[in-house]
Amino acid sequence: MAATDPRPVTLMIAAMGGEGGGVLTDWILTAAHEAHLVAQNTAIPGVAQRTGATTYYMEIFPERMPDGASEPVMSIYPQVGDVDVMVATELVEAGRACQNGYVTPDRTTLIASTHRVYAIAEKTAMGDGRLDTTQIETAVRRMAKRAVLFDVARAARDNGSVINAVILGAIAGTGVLPIPAETFERAIRAEGKSVDANLRGFAYGLKAAKGDIVELRPRAAKPAAATPSEVLADFRDRVVRDYPQTAREIVLEGAARCFDYQDAPYATLYLDRLDRIAAADKAGDGTVTRETGRHLALWMTYEDVIRVAQIKTRTARLDKVRAGAGAKPDQPVIATEFLKPGIDELCSILPPVLGARVIAWADRTGRRDRLHLGLHIRTSTVFGFLMLRLMAALKPWRRRGYRYGVEQSLIERWLRAVEAAAGRDAGLAREIAECARLIKGYSDTHRRGMGNFQRLMDTLVEPALAAAGDKRPDFYANAAAAIATARNAALADPEGQALTRTLDQLATARA
Amino acid sequence: MERSFKAEVESLRLGEGETFHGEGILAVTKALLQSGVSYVGGYQGAPVSHLIDVLVDAKPLLDELGVHLETSTSEAAAAAMLGASINYPLRGAATWKATVGTNVASDALSNLASAGVKGGALIVIGEDYGEGASIIQERSHAFAMKSQMWLLDPRPNLPTIVNMVERGFELSEVSNTPVMLELRIRACHVYGRFKTKANRRPQFSRHDLIERPDFDFSRICLPPATYAQERHKVEHRMPAAIRYVAENRLNEMFPGDAGEIGVIMQGGLYNTVVRALHQVGLADAFGRSRIPLYVLNVTYPLIPDEVAKFCVGKKAVLMVEEGQPDYLEQAINVVLRKADLQTRVHGKDVLPMAGEYTSETVLRGVAGFLEKVAPRNIDVARATSRVKTVDEHKAQALSLLGGPVPPRPPSFCTGCPERPIFSALKILERDLGPTHISADIGCHTFSTLPPFNLGNTVLGYGLGLASSAGVGPSFNKRVISMMGDGGFWHNGLTNGVASANFNRNDGVLVVVKNGYSSATGWQWLPSSLQSRSAGPGGMTIEGALKGVGVKWLKTVYTYEVSKVVKVLKEAMTTAERGLKVIIAEGECMLAKQRRVRAEDAKKIKAGKRVAMPKFGVDDQVCTGDHSCIRLSGCPSLSVKENPDKLRRDPVATVIETCVGCGNCGEVSHAAILCPSFYKTEVVYNPGALERVLDGIRRRVIAWLATPEAIPTPALPGEARMAEAAE
Repeated sequence: MAATDPRPVTLMIAAMGGEGGGVLTDWILTAAHEAHLVAQNTAIPGVAQRTGATTYYMEIFPERMPDGASEPVMSIYPQVGDVDVMVATELVEAGRACQNGYVTPDRTTLIASTHRVYAIAEKTAMGDGRLDTTQIETAVRRMAKRAVLFDVARAARDNGSVINAVILGAIAGTGVLPIPAETFERAIRAEGKSVDANLRGFAYGLKAAKGDIVELRPRAAKPAAATPSEVLADFRDRVVRDYPQTAREIVLEGAARCFDYQDAPYATLYLDRLDRIAAADKAGDGTVTRETGRHLALWMTYEDVIRVAQIKTRTARLDKVRAGAGAKPDQPVIATEFLKPGIDELCSILPPVLGARVIAWADRTGRRDRLHLGLHIRTSTVFGFLMLRLMAALKPWRRRGYRYGVEQSLIERWLRAVEAAAGRDAGLAREIAECARLIKGYSDTHRRGMGNFQRLMDTLVEPALAAAGDKRPDFYANAAAAIATARNAALADPEGQALTRTLDQLATARA
Repeated sequence: MERSFKAEVESLRLGEGETFHGEGILAVTKALLQSGVSYVGGYQGAPVSHLIDVLVDAKPLLDELGVHLETSTSEAAAAAMLGASINYPLRGAATWKATVGTNVASDALSNLASAGVKGGALIVIGEDYGEGASIIQERSHAFAMKSQMWLLDPRPNLPTIVNMVERGFELSEVSNTPVMLELRIRACHVYGRFKTKANRRPQFSRHDLIERPDFDFSRICLPPATYAQERHKVEHRMPAAIRYVAENRLNEMFPGDAGEIGVIMQGGLYNTVVRALHQVGLADAFGRSRIPLYVLNVTYPLIPDEVAKFCVGKKAVLMVEEGQPDYLEQAINVVLRKADLQTRVHGKDVLPMAGEYTSETVLRGVAGFLEKVAPRNIDVARATSRVKTVDEHKAQALSLLGGPVPPRPPSFCTGCPERPIFSALKILERDLGPTHISADIGCHTFSTLPPFNLGNTVLGYGLGLASSAGVGPSFNKRVISMMGDGGFWHNGLTNGVASANFNRNDGVLVVVKNGYSSATGWQWLPSSLQSRSAGPGGMTIEGALKGVGVKWLKTVYTYEVSKVVKVLKEAMTTAERGLKVIIAEGECMLAKQRRVRAEDAKKIKAGKRVAMPKFGVDDQVCTGDHSCIRLSGCPSLSVKENPDKLRRDPVATVIETCVGCGNCGEVSHAAILCPSFYKTEVVYNPGALERVLDGIRRRVIAWLATPEAIPTPALPGEARMAEAAE
């Protein structure tokens, strides 16, 4: 029983439900059968079709067995250190395969897709919960004897094929299995379903594994054509003149956004406001100005019904909708918008006195969360489109609406805090500026975010600034850290439980 | 069901000396026909659903042979069917998922095992244990011991599995005892081949009818017959079984030169043990082992003489036995003690008491055994170093990855009609606060996982409502119970609804009606729109509920989330006492898509008008809060890089797999989330009028459209860079 003992060639596939792993293993079995090789496959489909991870494990004995000879004993489990080909149809699944020990530098050829299918925890985060996958990619490359990594999902899409066919091609292309590529192609033909599409995908995978294709990277967005814009040129010149290099791009984008949102005076107001921060931040590297500029622009262009209607009634957006639906130019596309305006939306455009009264009434009678008008607007019809378009046309009226005043005074409150901090400690100013990130979404979500924001202002930001001139070392650093902690807590759960806990802890710590 | 098994059915027709290629569970099905069964019954459940599914599609073949197929509504029903073999020489088989199915079946099984059988009775159980298992982790072994049924655990290769099915019937007949054939998940799904025999027509069947009933009080489970039956078990049946197993060598012994030690294993673990030995240089790829092996294809009863024969002269043996308690290890110790053999028995001291025996686990066990025993002429260091290498590989990977990667729990499929129910419950929670939810078994159990995390207990199939009977009266608001239509017909109607009404339960029951037994592979149910004999089964959940006296009964279409919320709220707050039942209806999307996709493709080809729905998110309107995802968890609702320069958090996006069920739009409506969602329907083959109208609309809309945003001018440095890139 020397080390030169014949052993089965082993292949493991970590797929997700709906990727056709069953068909893929069938193709390989058919090919092995045609090559007169003994092959065995087993699967843990468990909750496969229900989006969970699915694994297949296959062994192929590389030598033809004469009839009647005793057959090799095939394992139904993969072994750590003994997997010849590991396939993962998604990057984190490749990471998982490594974690479980199925990718080892002395043996394993890894075929993995670089695209991501986000796990639920990554998607539900209130901010950005996505995993940084650079480390995973580096790790899987290091763990594999050879790594064939490319965006399999995109390759399938671009070739009008499916993931499993591209993977089969890649498996054939690595040449690890004792089966020639033509035999796999015959297996695809023998199966007889979507043969051409599958063969296209196969051919691509084959080339990719042979290294004949330079790795696909997401197409970088082309820089927008630099249409000279007279209207915005003045703002550009002002930004270039008055702002540090690091902040310019964001600040100019912010001014343009305010211009698009309202008008030139509004964009001017944006820059006037930001000038104060830039002045206070003079000693810094411009980061505080840039980040304040980012949040100020987003806040000043708060998403009211007018803004939503404006965005939804632009030609570019209509084209995007068609493209997203995958419609051909001559195909009609019926588009339905799901809108549900309520008291808040109505009041945002009422005159301030009236708006305030209605809101007060609604709060008093518990109607604020209850009165809504559910609309399914067909924007592919002239009438439906017109409804939204008229809403967008209310833009000039916005300044006279109730919400405008409310937002501007809150913006000022926040801005004053950032300005005051910027003169003293850049780190603190940065953290205060970031607090504006809490304010996003619509209706309930928006109100919750706003509530959290105000709690932070009341309990941490303003008290810290009121204690101006505190001579304790680390005073500002501590204040900044507390704000950051509380802000992250506010983003931890929608009910604000983590925030309450954190604020309590901070209060106890201070006491 | 919506899936077809045409190719599989063909392989059931193979005749003498042909070669079968396919999955383990299908091989069992073929073996049943080769054994001349008169009847087959079962209840679906992974990993044995296929057995019944394929037979349903094999109706013409079964008709030719005269075999009766019963798609039972529970495992109890399937087990009770084996009663046919008590009085008559009919061979029969039943199948289900274990141990949960065996739990349900055990009333009938106890009676069956007590009465004993004339005709061979085989129970094919899919042992759902370890990775991929969806149930509580227990062993079937206990059932075999307590009721005295024989337990087969064949090596996981098709010829052995098929042989054990055929031998199992003989064993059952010579010992008058029902026999269980245990197959683990991987064995059920293992793809291999075997030489087939011709199918056998049963002695009695629909073609050859029994003419006289057999009356024999000794086969009735009443005293004093039961006392005699128990004595018959120990005095006759057990010895007969032991004799048969030994004489026919159902267990296998493989010699080896390292005779000082040995390995005893359950047959199902043989391949794993051999591979572990191969890895440490103690066996070759063909299973020729240096250590003698004793393979228990029959794990109950043990054959004392065989055990003693294998152990005699050995310093130590390793018992590789998956799961707990360690019944086999205990039994072997007893055999050795009685035979006064001093062989040491290792097992759970070097192998884990709980959990699946994967190749890595067994490798560690073998290494641990060798280290403890240190046999002569065996390179123990090689085993030790192999384990060390495994550890190093894993440690290296973990350190390179920087920590474990996030888990990927299963969830509702894209477009699942059950998701909106839980979205609605989440929305209702905001209003009424959380309450106790008694979950049930089915796809809807995924509500207990992220993002919903709804459901406080799971007590068993169809037992959602029954399990709320104790907690309900002690809770400060009405408690909610879940039940699928599968669970409803399995036993929920009686154990749940009838019992609740009988006891004046004041709770809320949500019956999830998706039209199939979906979690097990879309088998038809009594209330499905289809049945095996085409056309509806003629039973309705509504009718059944009314029949057992339910007064408060509402049906909602699940995708209308706002309505679901409203009805749930009404059920929770109405002054009306008594059980309130909501039937939440919506066809299983996987099953529906299987059908609708083909239909749509056909229509499009035929030039008929089809509107293909899909949802979208306006990425400029979305602010990246992801509430929509927290209330849905749809696989097609994902996140992407924010295209906005000013924003950093990713925005929601609907990916290509969307089937346009509309849940995200409805949830966003019901929970008043945001105006980002829109639905598109691409029209294929529009009519002439529609085309003209569309042309006009598009022109008018283009003319009406809001002016585009003025592009941000390039900064001086940027402009140069853009030119350079051109």
